[in-house]
Amino acid sequence: MRSIIIFLLSAAFGWSQSDNSEMRYSVSLTDEGEFAAGLRVPGADTGNLLLLEPTFAYKSSDFWRFSTSLAAVTTTQGETQSQLRVRETYFGIDAGDLDLTIGKRLLRWGTGYAFTVTGILDPPRNPTDPTDRLNLNEGREMATADWVSGRNDVTVAWASAGLFGKRQPGMLDTAAIRYNVLVDGFDTSVIVAHEGSSTFSGANFTRVFGEAVELHGEFGWSDTTGAGALIGGKYTTRSGVTAIAEFYTPASAERQQYGFVRVGKSRLRERPGWKEWDVTLSLVTNLGDGSRIAVLDAGRRFGKHFYAYTHTESPSGKRNASEFGAIPYSALASIGVTFQL
Amino acid sequence: MCNRLLWLVAGGALTAAAAALPDIDAQALLRESDVLRNGSSSYVVRIKITNFEADKQDEEHLYAVSQKGLDKTHVEFLSPREKGRFLLMLGDDMWIYLPDTSRPVRITPLERLTGDASNGDVARTNYAYDYDAVYLRTEKVGDIECRVLELSAKRKGSTYHKIEYWLRAEDARPVKAEFYLTSGKHIKSATFDAYGQEGGRTYLTRMTIHDQIRKNSHSVMEYSNYEARQLPDKMFSQGRLDRF
Repeated sequence: MRSIIIFLLSAAFGWSQSDNSEMRYSVSLTDEGEFAAGLRVPGADTGNLLLLEPTFAYKSSDFWRFSTSLAAVTTTQGETQSQLRVRETYFGIDAGDLDLTIGKRLLRWGTGYAFTVTGILDPPRNPTDPTDRLNLNEGREMATADWVSGRNDVTVAWASAGLFGKRQPGMLDTAAIRYNVLVDGFDTSVIVAHEGSSTFSGANFTRVFGEAVELHGEFGWSDTTGAGALIGGKYTTRSGVTAIAEFYTPASAERQQYGFVRVGKSRLRERPGWKEWDVTLSLVTNLGDGSRIAVLDAGRRFGKHFYAYTHTESPSGKRNASEFGAIPYSALASIGVTFQL
Repeated sequence: MCNRLLWLVAGGALTAAAAALPDIDAQALLRESDVLRNGSSSYVVRIKITNFEADKQDEEHLYAVSQKGLDKTHVEFLSPREKGRFLLMLGDDMWIYLPDTSRPVRITPLERLTGDASNGDVARTNYAYDYDAVYLRTEKVGDIECRVLELSAKRKGSTYHKIEYWLRAEDARPVKAEFYLTSGKHIKSATFDAYGQEGGRTYLTRMTIHDQIRKNSHSVMEYSNYEARQLPDKMFSQGRLDRF
């Protein structure tokens, strides 16, 4: 499908209010060029991505709401391909302490940055892009019921492996329940799920200590894959530098272990010309085979609507004998610009 | 004999001086000033923060703030490059929701301090909840007679370690403030420039924050669309931070 990208000049971010009804809408357009150095597989070593992302949300009188978020993607790498992704489209009803939603939703129950054990309904987490910088993750078709009382929150969810589209490989229909509570600064969740023929149970927490330290952890057990665990922390310096570190062992027969470290700062310095900059450096390591991938992200804001950025990945490790060493390029650099209304 | 007399005279003078000090309940004054500043215990308001560098407009941020009671604050970011973000404060605990992570992320107190007007300046405006107050003195600011209070942080979630706070003597309306970090560094000054009325309640409509480190930098916070409103408790749940 050839897509014609229509730039919505008239779509300005704003809201309208009638009684208690509110609306939110926005559009962003991203153009990103990519170059792979030392490519070891046949194919083009350069490519381009054009991404149009409209979002719309409407809430009527604190009773019902509708939200949708789309991504129209055109990629050129040798040949051109286009795709329309529905990231989220759901309808919700607010009934006192109960919230009901049905539709396609992005739900994240895991507390880890690069990895997760308890995020059974989460979209796949890419440790080299934990924030999904291009917002390409899609939700799952699901129905949820949320009951909130004080600091207690119980969510019951049923998620399909793929109702209207192709069933995603490896994904199974999942029924899950999560109890979340805030006690003495611990934001804690207990999760039980039934996925296909397997049962999962797990728990996670986050807590802040003092002014600068945050700790988080996840533990889960499945009757088919065994136990997985994650422990991590975040430290913030007085100058605003944030460092995150995680250790992760997934539930799998191979008993792999991973490390993740990220150091970054938004608003590099509180000075004109500097505070528009964000810089982040990450390292993901497979502790078993010693392979690793380093990621550098740098970006600068221009005015209210433009953001220019660069994203660079550099894997290393034994070729064909390690996880990150098997990545078929020695470096991947992307440069892009986003316009947002 | 002379020394004893001198001590008696000094003691008498001190007693007289103490008796002359006004009997001021600093904490009660602080609570009164919070009511004047915030208007209602449950409200929504829109805040525009304009940053200036050398008197030239630099950045602009827009927020929709919902406040319930002393310790529940929900902030929606409305500027084009920040939209889709939400901030939740429950007492000393804080989360930020970023649309690209699609989940609430726990943040530390130090992560709140960015820019001239920080997230703490937006979200924590009930000083009586966060600080212990001590009366220092009475002095004039221009023509306005003010009571000067020293506020000391009593919660780990307090944005600043210490605040010097000038309140108008006749009604405890905030006039100006000086903010200090744990290190003792004087980081910001603020003036409370204008107040408005909504439903018989007074609330702050304009505040200017001056950076004491970068002297040519300041921010203006403007409050508008103020509405006293009963807000549901579930709005202030970290599990619901992904929706407005």
